[in-house]
Amino acid sequence: MSGHNESSQRATTLGVSQETLLGKVRQALGRLAGQAIAAAPKVDPNLVRLATADEDLVALFTKRATETGMKVYRVQAADLLRQIGSILEEAKAKRVACAVGTLPQAVGLNDALRRRGLEVVDWQAQPGFEAQYELDAGITDVHAALAETGTLICNSDAGHSRGLSLVPPVHIAIVRQSDILPDMVDYWLRVRSVTGKDLPSSQALITGPSKTADIEGILITGVHGPGQVHILVVEKM
Amino acid sequence: MSTFEAKNQASAPAGTHATVNLSISGQELLFPPLPYDIHARADAATANKQLQDFVHVATYRKDVTRKQVTSETFGPKHGAFRDLGAAIKQHTLDHLDHYLEMFVERATAAGAKVHFAQTADQANDICLDVARRCGAKLCVKSKSMVTEETHLLPQLQAMGVETVETDLGEFILQLDHDAPSHIVTPMIHKDRRAVARAFERELGAVYTEDPQQLTGIARAYLREKYRRADLGISGGNFLVAETGSLVICTNEGNGRFCTSAPKVHVAFVGIEKLVPSYEHLGVMLKLLARTSTGQPLTVYTHVITGPRRPQEHDGPGQLHIILVDNGRTEILKKETREMLRCIRCGACLNACPVYRKIGGHAYGAVYSGPIGALITPLFRGLANYPDLPNASSLCGACFEACPVKIDIPRFLVQLRSEMVSRKITKLSDRLFYRLWAWSLGRSWTYRIGGWMQKMFFRAKARQRGTLAKGDPYRSRGWLDHLPGPAAGWTSQRDMPTPPARSFRQWWNQERSSS
Repeated sequence: MSGHNESSQRATTLGVSQETLLGKVRQALGRLAGQAIAAAPKVDPNLVRLATADEDLVALFTKRATETGMKVYRVQAADLLRQIGSILEEAKAKRVACAVGTLPQAVGLNDALRRRGLEVVDWQAQPGFEAQYELDAGITDVHAALAETGTLICNSDAGHSRGLSLVPPVHIAIVRQSDILPDMVDYWLRVRSVTGKDLPSSQALITGPSKTADIEGILITGVHGPGQVHILVVEKM
Repeated sequence: MSTFEAKNQASAPAGTHATVNLSISGQELLFPPLPYDIHARADAATANKQLQDFVHVATYRKDVTRKQVTSETFGPKHGAFRDLGAAIKQHTLDHLDHYLEMFVERATAAGAKVHFAQTADQANDICLDVARRCGAKLCVKSKSMVTEETHLLPQLQAMGVETVETDLGEFILQLDHDAPSHIVTPMIHKDRRAVARAFERELGAVYTEDPQQLTGIARAYLREKYRRADLGISGGNFLVAETGSLVICTNEGNGRFCTSAPKVHVAFVGIEKLVPSYEHLGVMLKLLARTSTGQPLTVYTHVITGPRRPQEHDGPGQLHIILVDNGRTEILKKETREMLRCIRCGACLNACPVYRKIGGHAYGAVYSGPIGALITPLFRGLANYPDLPNASSLCGACFEACPVKIDIPRFLVQLRSEMVSRKITKLSDRLFYRLWAWSLGRSWTYRIGGWMQKMFFRAKARQRGTLAKGDPYRSRGWLDHLPGPAAGWTSQRDMPTPPARSFRQWWNQERSSS
């Protein structure tokens, strides 16, 4: 083990330098520093795309998401709050937290939940996951959804936690029809121009409830993350 | 609190702060004395009926699912998809210096600290240094094959950092001082009773064989660990050069916990994990889960770009990415570069008739199955693992299953020929095969050999009364027992004897009579 200076605050000198490692790589490849590269393989969208905008995206999303073990409900905007309430009741949830951004359909959500006797926790009150461990359910909107795989995409930002779609045993996701993209290809095209610090630190593509088949191949849900994922697809008004 | 949670709490061990004895005696399974001789473990595995059942059923089921799901999803495009997957990884490897440089620049711009390790020890030292600087007491770790390679855990523990594996399978293996035997499903060789006993013994849990309850016990125990952990360690499935992102694919959610709950996250990633852009990542993701477990995507595909932003409320304040060489630049040389395309989906293990019989531990290394038989000798020396290139029937099922079209059988043959030229193969074997090749290369030796074999087999069969009579060109007999090394054949199946008259005799007769 190499020596370590306890009081050292300067940049770590452990390992090797970037140049040393790159040198070994270049030597193996027979390339020179800064040598031009061949064009990367072209990703033909016609080949890679497995679902197109011509399809009934809500139907496809519903089918695929259901296949992964999530529950999908198609609701009218006016019926959204009532539907959330009944899911929470069924799950016997007492403490919930919401991160629904500026979703117009979810205006008044917190008040509606309180009227039903639920405790609505401010997950932003404490840093990290601390305020989220005791929750019974997390309610979020999504940054996108993918029809081809039945996937929810939940990104971190000022108004969105990494934890609400992960820590509580129940995750309720509100998806607008316009959130549903046909294929993953479409999502990467959307974020293509964004790089570095402008990207969220966490983009979570969620395709099903938390799962394991480690014990004898038997499928168990809810191992670390939520065992139940309820998706409310809000129909166009 | 839901009923599910309440039930977990009730069955969870009292005082979930109990410290698990973390000494790893499973290490010898993956790091046996060298040179490694496969025979003892392979024989033990084939004689172990329980292991035969588990591994066979599990791998067979996954192999069938893979074929079904990939053909349903990709249809006639499947070949083109695999070609594209292979081309993307090959292109990235061919210009790896370029993409590594781009990755380091973009990841750094996003706030990550990128480190470089040429050896396993260097990688571990970097991690230990981070742990020391942040004063880590408790570390939660998600699955990482690279940390198995570098053998990180004992070092963290020696430093006084309690380290807990959080993938359910890895957690159980850790409690049981066992080692993973499959890249994707690490405890494929264990049953629920082993889990129940481990939880009872190590966690003081009430004995139960119900997988749902066992999972609940682990959930409650590990929740407490996430809550208190100050260091999270993960591997990485992909690195995206264009954005500096790290991508982790898991099903349980432990990967997201380990990379989000503690204030510091350290990722160990092999340098071969790069892809150029999100666009290319998409292709690889479409192939990975479908080939690995038959899912459209793993439940959680977590794309991490830098540490928590100032405006974000959760996530680690520090992200360290350790780029690990540990023998990869040797494989990166032109002749073997293709092997580094591997995305660790495990499909070749599931498809392999040899893996299905001997299981993962018989390979005596971190990577098992066909891909393990290939890369282990390259990582750790061909002379140290002389049996692995031969632990294959060269049937090609692995090549057919591989989403990035690594021609495993061809490379295994190459390794075998290298073993002969470097005289690693036993002298007796080399002489035998040379003699065989010589006799097959000449018509007269072939004829004499064929005649002798016919006479011997038919005489034996006549003696045992298993020789059929009738048409001399068709009727044959069989032998149910052969002496010496040929007994291996007849222990499983009969050996057919040649008919009384050979094809050559028939041919000559037909020609002279016409």
